[in-house]
Amino acid sequence: MEKITCTGCSLLCDDIIVKKDGSNIEEIIGACLKGVERFEMISSKHRVLKPYIRDGDSLEEIDWDTALNKVVELINKSNNPLLYGFSNTTCEAQLKAIELAREINGFIDSNSTICQGKALNVAKETGFTTSTLTEVINKSDVMILWGFNAVESIPRLLNKILFSRGKFRMTGREIKTIIILDPIKTDSFNVMGPRDIALLIEPDKDIELIETLKEICCTENALPSNEVAGLDKDDFKRLQTNLTNSEYISIFVGQGLLKNQEGKNPLKSLFELIDIINERNKKGRASIILAGGHFNMMGFEHVALSNTGQNQSLSFNNHQLIESQETIISKIENKDFDLSIILGTDPISHLPMRLSKKLASKPIILIDNSRSGTYLIADLILPTSISGLETDGTAIRLDNVPIKLKKVIDAPQNLLSDEDLLNKIIEKLREKREGI
Amino acid sequence: MELYKFLPQTNCKKCGKPTCMAFALDLLKRKVKIKECTPLVEEDKYKEKLEKLKELVGDEEGEEKELRINVNEDDCDGCGICVTVCPVNARYCYSTLSGKAPEYPPDSHQLFVVKKGKCELLALEHCRRIAAEGRERECRVCETYCPREAIKIEYV
Ligand code: SF4
Ligand code: SF4
Ligand code: SF4
Ligand code: SF4
Repeated sequence: MEKITCTGCSLLCDDIIVKKDGSNIEEIIGACLKGVERFEMISSKHRVLKPYIRDGDSLEEIDWDTALNKVVELINKSNNPLLYGFSNTTCEAQLKAIELAREINGFIDSNSTICQGKALNVAKETGFTTSTLTEVINKSDVMILWGFNAVESIPRLLNKILFSRGKFRMTGREIKTIIILDPIKTDSFNVMGPRDIALLIEPDKDIELIETLKEICCTENALPSNEVAGLDKDDFKRLQTNLTNSEYISIFVGQGLLKNQEGKNPLKSLFELIDIINERNKKGRASIILAGGHFNMMGFEHVALSNTGQNQSLSFNNHQLIESQETIISKIENKDFDLSIILGTDPISHLPMRLSKKLASKPIILIDNSRSGTYLIADLILPTSISGLETDGTAIRLDNVPIKLKKVIDAPQNLLSDEDLLNKIIEKLREKREGI
Repeated sequence: MELYKFLPQTNCKKCGKPTCMAFALDLLKRKVKIKECTPLVEEDKYKEKLEKLKELVGDEEGEEKELRINVNEDDCDGCGICVTVCPVNARYCYSTLSGKAPEYPPDSHQLFVVKKGKCELLALEHCRRIAAEGRERECRVCETYCPREAIKIEYV
């Protein structure tokens, strides 16, 4: 029996117990269904175990030497390679990926750019107050889920933050209030008790609510004259009271706030609102936690920032980071690349049709462990072991805390980890360059 | 007072108590049985109230109704909220206080465990609805807070 960390989502629960029978995982205790699905990838029928090369419509199995030579050949032919993905792998592999991008003068970006990373970019201008989950568990009395369906995307989050009995919240659920703001009634609404507040706001009207709160939330007895974003005066008042009279407010922000509304960035306004509250509320403080998806989305931001001084969308020339306004989306949109190297993600299925078509028009090297939409069109496929299950490493939890990942079992067929494979590719490229 | 709502509220005194409220209090303390309120049992118009009351009071002595906590496997996603929120687990499994999964193998009092992403019921006999006294016996927080509405407390 071993205690390990789950890499099913960015909560990185480190209390999972597994029972092994040789190389077989017999029992998984404590992990949610989403986590268990990640464990099931190990023996999934969609698992890729051998390198493949595309020959017209079919894939041909090749040996590793041929595969690595082919990678080097494709990279050396390319003048403008694109590297994308890297949020489902360890920080160590992310570091190697940036090294590879530098080596081949490529452009590298992670999934975070079109997700949480957007929020961090806003935070670069305004700054933002955040908390760790431990603080939330021990101190928070009011939790707000804003445009974020926790039950669906991070199944065990509410269990940890809302139902736990923290150091200063010993009675647990009874003295914690949850407020959910969402345009639709999600499953997360089911955890509500009598004192909690469900606010169904009109779609894309968050900005209106935030702006109104900014104006009047810290003025006593000030209420808007009309409905705001579909909330009546009573709802507004209850939200306002909680925002200004609580000891420790934790706001979890999801995908719902990432898009611009009425030409403004709702996150920027929210960060400003929090500043106002923190300045005037004498009783306590409010903070924001960005709730991401893939288990190590935050990792790329941290690794890139500490390695290059820039957290995402890194463009290299002459092995140096150069200034560029491009993002992964603009690069694909303008077809400004001639080869893509994709690791641990499935952009062909997830990007809008228009973009995935453009991405598919150039050669793709895919490093991944299971079959996906991208697998079906990639030109070269290199399988690796599953990070966090078949390799150790580090990942950054959604609240920016580094968590150790522990290897549970050996990878089948001696598959390399993402880190080792990237390293091998870099070595091979250097050998070639130096003419050995 | 939850139980009072489901009495006839006529204060007819047939039960030997001065008021329905007094009867409700004794019902809570398990000093009287539902059937002692004869109008409630006999008159058809109280049928719904009677059903609801029986559900709330749970198994009385001399009645063979048995507590069942059903977890619907198809709906459960293993979020572990029931494990953390159950007051019995909170008392015997220290790690649930901070929202972590309980130690394994489970304590003999532990009621729920999440295995392979699904919740399993372990030791029903320690559920407050059976083992506790007074108000605590009315516990149904696991059913209330399950986000997938997968838990149903029943008497069969
Ligand atoms: S909440 Fe996320 S990290 Fe925790 S067990 Fe579920 S999938 Fe794994
Ligand atoms: S017999 Fe029933 S209705 Fe009459 S006083 Fe007692 S509890 Fe109330
Ligand atoms: S609270 Fe509901 S969904 Fe969550 S583990 Fe328990 S039964 Fe399953
Ligand atoms: S009714 Fe209460 S004591 Fe019984 S299992 Fe549910 S939460 Fe635990």
